Amino acid sequence: MPVLTFAASGATQLEGSFKVGPAIILISILVLFVLVGILFRAKDTTDFYAAGRGISKVGSGMAIASNWMSAASFLGMAALMYGSGYHGLAYVVGWTGGYVLLLILMAGQIRKYGKYTAADFIGDRYYSQTLRAVGAIIAILISISYCVGQFGGIGLMFKWVMGIDYAWAVIIGGAVVLAYTLISGMLGVTKNMQIQYIIIIISFIIPLFILTFKFDYFWLLPQVGYGSVVSDAVAGIPIAESQQLVNSFGHDFAMVPAPEYAMPWDPATGKTFYQWIAIAFSLMIGTAGLPHVIQRFYVVPKARDARWSVVWGLFFICILYWSAPAYAAFGKILSAHPEVGQLAKDAIVVYTAQLGDVHPLIVGFLAAGGVSAAFSTVSGLLVAGSSAFAHDLYVKVINPNAKPKNQLLAARLGTVLMAMIVTVIALAKLALIGQLVAVAFSLAGCTIFPLFLLGIWWSDSNKAGAIAGLVVGGIVSAISLSYFIAGKYGVTWPLHNFVDYWLGAWYFAIIGAPLAIIAHIIVSKITKETPLEIRKFLIEKVHS
Amino acid sequence: MDKTPNEYHISFFKPTTPQAKANRNMVLWLVLIWFFAIFGFQFLLWIIEKPTPEPAYATFQEVWPNVESNSASTGELRRFGQVTLSVLGKLALSQDDRASLDNALTWTIYELTPATDRSALLTKIREFEKMKAEITALSDVDYVKLKTELAQQLSPLLQISKSDVRSKILPLELVSADMSSMTGKTRESMPVIMKKYLVHNQSFLTDFKFLGFPFHYFYTAIFLLILFVGLCWLYCVKTDRLNAKMDIID
Repeated sequence: MPVLTFAASGATQLEGSFKVGPAIILISILVLFVLVGILFRAKDTTDFYAAGRGISKVGSGMAIASNWMSAASFLGMAALMYGSGYHGLAYVVGWTGGYVLLLILMAGQIRKYGKYTAADFIGDRYYSQTLRAVGAIIAILISISYCVGQFGGIGLMFKWVMGIDYAWAVIIGGAVVLAYTLISGMLGVTKNMQIQYIIIIISFIIPLFILTFKFDYFWLLPQVGYGSVVSDAVAGIPIAESQQLVNSFGHDFAMVPAPEYAMPWDPATGKTFYQWIAIAFSLMIGTAGLPHVIQRFYVVPKARDARWSVVWGLFFICILYWSAPAYAAFGKILSAHPEVGQLAKDAIVVYTAQLGDVHPLIVGFLAAGGVSAAFSTVSGLLVAGSSAFAHDLYVKVINPNAKPKNQLLAARLGTVLMAMIVTVIALAKLALIGQLVAVAFSLAGCTIFPLFLLGIWWSDSNKAGAIAGLVVGGIVSAISLSYFIAGKYGVTWPLHNFVDYWLGAWYFAIIGAPLAIIAHIIVSKITKETPLEIRKFLIEKVHS
Repeated sequence: MDKTPNEYHISFFKPTTPQAKANRNMVLWLVLIWFFAIFGFQFLLWIIEKPTPEPAYATFQEVWPNVESNSASTGELRRFGQVTLSVLGKLALSQDDRASLDNALTWTIYELTPATDRSALLTKIREFEKMKAEITALSDVDYVKLKTELAQQLSPLLQISKSDVRSKILPLELVSADMSSMTGKTRESMPVIMKKYLVHNQSFLTDFKFLGFPFHYFYTAIFLLILFVGLCWLYCVKTDRLNAKMDIID
């Protein structure tokens, strides 16, 4: 088909072949990460799981931000806004607003509870080894689901830098991030996260200063300056007489009016008000239920530090989240000419910098920032997943007498296994990075969030209630995900459109989480009371 | 004095200590602010929005009955072609919609071209399509030359000036297949496509500008994030004060 063939040419030119400068930058940054990882590597299990609890609140805030700012934030968010305009802002709000819930409902209390992992909390609070194992399995599933999007992002950036096939890029990138996590463990990871944050944020913001300056917008604060870019996209931009403002292909910085870019739930995007609300809600409660996020509160010395680290972490996160929509807005205008063709949305951040004719080395630095974002999150996720495997499954359930050496070995084996599973799923390219990551949030929102919320704030919440909540949340999750996967493989089940819309894979927690909470409460009310020692512990240790 | 077993109960909504009561009240206030700031605003946006057409949609509604029945005047065809190009310039087009719009545009150009020149035009478009499929760089000299030629030749037919961004799009959206007719599928889908891309949910909250942004966009993309950081900061400060007041050490 001529149109499609043609459309590929612009994108192909942006991809190009092996890029020496960006490759050197990327390799240098990765070597730096590994060196820091070696320097601060884990010496024992306490180090591996919780970094010795020696991280300051600002440092922990940076680590929270770095851990959080994944490929979904760095690449995926701009992609979602580029593809569906205002709808994409549901992800921006969802991925930041959840921290308010996390802080005021959980952060301090989680730290006071004093466990290593989410499954630890579940097992202890609900006095059940079975629930501990289930919690560990859910944590592993969430980590895998979250990692898939990250590996996709790593693959895209490796593909762009090396000019190789996506599949090879995912495999190579996955192997590198695995090696790095295995070498460093969590202490190295936490130190690295602070360095990674700085690299991520600098690499993300520099091209924005350049773009706003170059295209004559308010460049001193690009996070505000791009507002006029959005308004210009809505109103349309005529061709300038001077012919000075052009993209790297020589196309004018001009476009027809496109109100669909900024107007809420616009028919052109195919998205609705319900979906906006459902995504924002699911992401927010998912934030408060993600094991690798919750786990970060165990690495600060005190509950007060846990609270303040959220404030710092959220502020650091917002610096990137205020900036990401600017890439989408510039990308929209710079790629408006049909000759640019269909661009891979998940790489729009890098393409925008290229189309804006930003210096190739700065674009390379930007791509390296994208890889750093994915790396920092993947390493945290792999640690969380392997902790669940080694600490919660192996030591607490399978082999309580395991020596620390064997425990560390189990953690490392778990890491390798998870990385392999994630690589295989990432190769299937099931959806956009941001959407894949959103699945993990809904899963966490339906399962772990109710357990933590009720477990901390209601002493009558008991084992039977927890099981009931998990069953209901699990069923809703299973229905949504099985319909989604079936749809991806062309299989249509009864009520497919209904489930697809109301229980979409990116936002099924809007239905699943409230149902899980209700089931948890009802069953807790009609079954045996929580043991006295648990209630005592809650009052004397967690809420004192 | 030690508590009895029955007193060991924690409930967020039934706090038993002054500290827990103060904490509950603070959390409730913050959650309410958080909830209404996010969902209340989006709900308001949804309640007050009105489907607002772009000017091009009014033009389409005016000319479409005659275009559809093949009785459009030259002027009406020109305006129809202009509207079609306005939609083709949008980025969020689906492949199906683009195919219908391309067919409509090319047919319009065909109708506006003098009968004696149509054959030559068809040949030229086919040549351009072939070239588009074969080039490896957009700067290919022959490709650029032919594209410019087509733009210069066809823009006047639609009375589009050189400085109009649509003149740049025009040659790229021409499709030689079915050029001499508007297909049944195109006729059927055109009103739906136009409504889909040219009518938007707008209100005073979307039309009002703040710091260059449409206000609702600023509120959601910038202000809400500031509010989240502010709420977190406020919670930490208040909790620290509460703990200090009640001699609680974390």
